Amino acid sequence: MIEFKNVSKIYDTGTEAVHNATFTIDKGEFAFLVGTSGSGKSTLIKLILKEEEASKGNIIINGKDITFLKAKRVPFLRRSMGVVFQDFRLLPDKTVYENVAFAMYIVKATPKHIRRQVPMVLSLVGLSDKAKCYPHELSGGEQQRVALARALVNNPSMIIADEPTGNLDPETAWDIMNLLNEINARGTTVVMATHAKDIVNKMKKRVIQIDRGIIIRDDKKGGYNSEV
Amino acid sequence: MRYNGLSYAIGEGFRNIFKNTKSTVISVITMICTMFLFGIFFAIGVNINSVLEQVQMKQGMEVFIFDEVTDEQKQNFENQIKSLDGVNTVVYKNKQQALDSMKEQMKDSQELLTAYEGENNIFPASFVVTLTNLEKSKEIESEIQRIGAQIATEGRSEEVDLQIEEATTNDTIIKKITSRDSTIEALVQLVKAVRITIGVIFIVLIVISITIISNTIKLTVHARRKEISIMKYVGATNGFIRWPFIIEGIIIGIIAAVITLLIIGLLYDFIIQNIETSEVLQKMGITLLAFIEIAKPITIVYAILGIGIGVIGSSVSMKKYLEV
Repeated sequence: MIEFKNVSKIYDTGTEAVHNATFTIDKGEFAFLVGTSGSGKSTLIKLILKEEEASKGNIIINGKDITFLKAKRVPFLRRSMGVVFQDFRLLPDKTVYENVAFAMYIVKATPKHIRRQVPMVLSLVGLSDKAKCYPHELSGGEQQRVALARALVNNPSMIIADEPTGNLDPETAWDIMNLLNEINARGTTVVMATHAKDIVNKMKKRVIQIDRGIIIRDDKKGGYNSEV
Repeated sequence: MRYNGLSYAIGEGFRNIFKNTKSTVISVITMICTMFLFGIFFAIGVNINSVLEQVQMKQGMEVFIFDEVTDEQKQNFENQIKSLDGVNTVVYKNKQQALDSMKEQMKDSQELLTAYEGENNIFPASFVVTLTNLEKSKEIESEIQRIGAQIATEGRSEEVDLQIEEATTNDTIIKKITSRDSTIEALVQLVKAVRITIGVIFIVLIVISITIISNTIKLTVHARRKEISIMKYVGATNGFIRWPFIIEGIIIGIIAAVITLLIIGLLYDFIIQNIETSEVLQKMGITLLAFIEIAKPITIVYAILGIGIGVIGSSVSMKKYLEV
């Protein structure tokens, strides 16, 4: 599903954000990318999204080597994954419904399909009654659930989440985690970058830890810190 | 049925216009200003061009003919000149009219001419030829010479041998052709110079318009850069993101064009009437163009300008923000 082969990323400034990273995340897996700020986990996410180009090595997603993917094809790569960010990134002048429907317009879904699919994902994230609200009328947790609905609406094979709970209080954070867990249980791969210790510890999922650009740990069912 | 991307883009384009009223108004006003400037120069340009054309039309040559030329020959001659390419009008001036116009010129000493009345009229009849295209002046003159010679020899081919000695003046029906070469030359040069100047001013104005408007669009795009990057993350192609902006640009262009057209239309006829009644123009018998006459080209120019600037402006100014 996601395969990194000796991937390094050196920014133009000369900093090496990722050094020789090799790992594979299989279909249906739930994997945490953990590390302190500046450890390189955001760069890993950016590499998966093809927002940044790898300086060395190969990245294979869904069986395709995206290392030399043309800029023109990048949108199609991104459509195969649902993306969730710390700051929600909703379109401010569109309602909840429109924000979710937008992801479907992009893939040229039929209006009929949109009308059926959007209410379905909105009910999945528990926001059916907020469909006509604008993002600024919602709480942080609700906004993140809209973002999640948007990420899910096209039935992607994987969800990439970059600190999705970073701006939320613990309780709402768990709402989001439960949703992600539920989505994962339905067979969607979930990759989540985070530094929320308690979440990682309680979820007991695979943990890939990165420190100063180097992957220092990859536990199948680990906690935030190595328990050795 | 697949979802129609164009109708989405059009819907979004309209939505953006009403959503961002402030930037829409700024863009429309900016565009009206540039278009208004453009329209004024356009109106001045086409009018100068039309005046020059009218002046040109009044220029030409006078072809004097021998007294012996028959009416039939004159008719034939006139018809042939009329059919020449580049000839505007041909007017026959008989001997009496020639004398009259000479009298007119010699107002103070008309009595000198009384001796030439009737039988004694020495002034030749002529054809006054005006041209549509002064640049062809020389060509047409030699054509007329050829026709004159042809007509003179045609009717009396058998007699030619007998009259050969006195035939020198009868080789042609044309006595003389006068044209004001230097005036014509100057006018041709003036027309060329004016046209080039107008062309250059137009190009400069187009460049200015595109610069101003693409800057305005850059502002609106910059204000929405976050939105654009979100679209990119969700997997929107550049085209998908760009189209609503382009359509927004087109709509703004059309709104501005319509308003400018109204303003120009209202002002134009009013101003033109004031200029037209001036003495100089009246004396020369020159008329300016009515708004109806320039409405079509100016509408086309505005449509191209509005849509073109909308498309070019938005595509150019979006480039930077699409690289996420």
